[in-house]
Amino acid sequence: MFSLYKKEVQSYFCSPFAYVISALFLLVFSLSFINGISTMDSNLLKFSFSNIFYNSFYYFIFLIPLLTMRTFAEERKSHTETLWLSAPITVPQVVFAKFLAAATVFLTMMVLSLIFPLVAFLHGSVVVSSLICGYLGFFLWSLVCIAIGIMMSALTDNPIIAAVLGEAAMLLLLFLDNFTKSALIQSIPAAAKILTWFSTEVRFGAFSQGLFTLADLVFFVSITIVVLIWTVIIIEKRRWSRA
Amino acid sequence: MNTVCLSGRLKGAYDRTMVEIKNLTKYYGTHPAVQDISFTVGDHEVLGFLGPNGAGKSTTMNMITGCLPSTAGTVLVDGYDIAKDPMEAKRRIGYLPELPPVYPDMRVRDYLMFAAGLKKVPRNDRKKQVDKAMERLRITDVQKRVIGNLSKGYRQRVGFAQALLGSPKILILDEPTVGLDPKQVMEVRRLIQDLAKEHTIIFSTHILAEVTAVCERVVIINKGRIRAVDTIANLENSVGGNLQLRMKIEGDPAKVTELLRSVEGVLSVDEMEFESVGVNAYTVSVTSDEIRKPLMTKLIAEDCMVLEINSVRSSLEDVFIKLTDTTAKQDREAAFEELGKEMDAQREAEEAAKKAETAGDDTAAAETADPEKEADD
Repeated sequence: MFSLYKKEVQSYFCSPFAYVISALFLLVFSLSFINGISTMDSNLLKFSFSNIFYNSFYYFIFLIPLLTMRTFAEERKSHTETLWLSAPITVPQVVFAKFLAAATVFLTMMVLSLIFPLVAFLHGSVVVSSLICGYLGFFLWSLVCIAIGIMMSALTDNPIIAAVLGEAAMLLLLFLDNFTKSALIQSIPAAAKILTWFSTEVRFGAFSQGLFTLADLVFFVSITIVVLIWTVIIIEKRRWSRA
Repeated sequence: MNTVCLSGRLKGAYDRTMVEIKNLTKYYGTHPAVQDISFTVGDHEVLGFLGPNGAGKSTTMNMITGCLPSTAGTVLVDGYDIAKDPMEAKRRIGYLPELPPVYPDMRVRDYLMFAAGLKKVPRNDRKKQVDKAMERLRITDVQKRVIGNLSKGYRQRVGFAQALLGSPKILILDEPTVGLDPKQVMEVRRLIQDLAKEHTIIFSTHILAEVTAVCERVVIINKGRIRAVDTIANLENSVGGNLQLRMKIEGDPAKVTELLRSVEGVLSVDEMEFESVGVNAYTVSVTSDEIRKPLMTKLIAEDCMVLEINSVRSSLEDVFIKLTDTTAKQDREAAFEELGKEMDAQREAEEAAKKAETAGDDTAAAETADPEKEADD
């Protein structure tokens, strides 16, 4: 499994792929940073980095499907999946290795963005607890998105379609909160309750305010696992019906 | 041409079974791709898997390697069930699919190192195995190149090298020579013969020459069903049961055909080809070689000149066509009948013309006779 993980990480970094996406990520981050500073309330002397994540979430979210769109779609397109299907490695291992690789690349991007807090630290003070919580929450959120992106990639043999499906799924997840708040859903309390279980924004909001609860951690991790299991099921199902 | 190294080893002579396939079936929806296939492959055997395009060769191979689950039936690889114990079974298989599973953005060496890792080759052994595989397939000089920039032949060889990693007991090669130039094809055949010393090999092809060149036993499959599992020699004999004679005979085709059929021991007149004016070549199925004499006597007695006669041995190609293409024979028969009709029509036309000519001659003769008559008078 480690060889597959290594190969996946290499293929991200040996192509311009990871660099282009990292650059885009940093661009969004720095623009949000500038924006955050310039609109800073004069009464509030401490600047919250978590707000960057919270406010420009939509931009970040759109990067992740770009990162994951190739994972399975490309393999299907170039008929390379027979390599690991015929090798002594299980499908869950393959999915997990690919997930870890994408997560690693994303983590690298986040580490690069630490330069902004560092600059802020040199010229002022940073609320470290809020910063750590913000990064952690954002990373957990990203894991869910990466898992969803990989699942969408397993559905098709076209990376572009995989990316579009991924964006759509993530948007649905994001708008789930607004949807839950709508009068229609609120009129059916049971439905509202069920939908809130899956609501991610509130939980992420807690993280971005520097609140860390075990329940939120379990929530994000378990959603990630469920989506990865779905991915395994999708791939196994396709093996059965492949023509 | 059967190779010397393989002679002496015949069906049933293997110490143990390496691959055992029992009632293997695969449905795509309601469409049966492979139906009830059973055969075994012995240790160190080279088995040819033969069939026309779309016969279910790749499907079967995908099921043997565990890429594709079967609808029914079992595959035992060295005693391990591919469905129940896939890890152990897959460790023993090296698979080269129809399209080599190479990543176009990777370098040859990196790719093979990765594949070795995937096949759980011990870390300290990987470099040695990759070097050996590259040497065997003569790709050492392209090891630093990106696979996407290589030609089809090289890509195929990289895929082949991948299959050798981990020294699997069984090699499964799906059309390993497709898309290669004749020299490379020869190299691959030689390689397969060479590999047969260490591995059990199942390879599929639709090229007959390849089968006769490298293996002694074949499985012929068509439309998802097994048509034959036997040694090449046995298969050839089975079709060669009735001998065929090819005869070039001068004379009226309809008459000759009738004469040929009238001789006892002639089973059928299978084919007729135009040779030159008045001469046709006939392919005649006979029960034995003894028929030649009465056949010749009869023909000569009837003023049909036999210009050439030789026996045709049925080759694997005939077996293949016979087993895989049931419509071909009917087509041939229909064509033959049509040709006969055409010839009949031609003959009738000729006869009519001749009649007209003779009629013309009569009147001319009458005209010439008249003056004589007058002279007589």
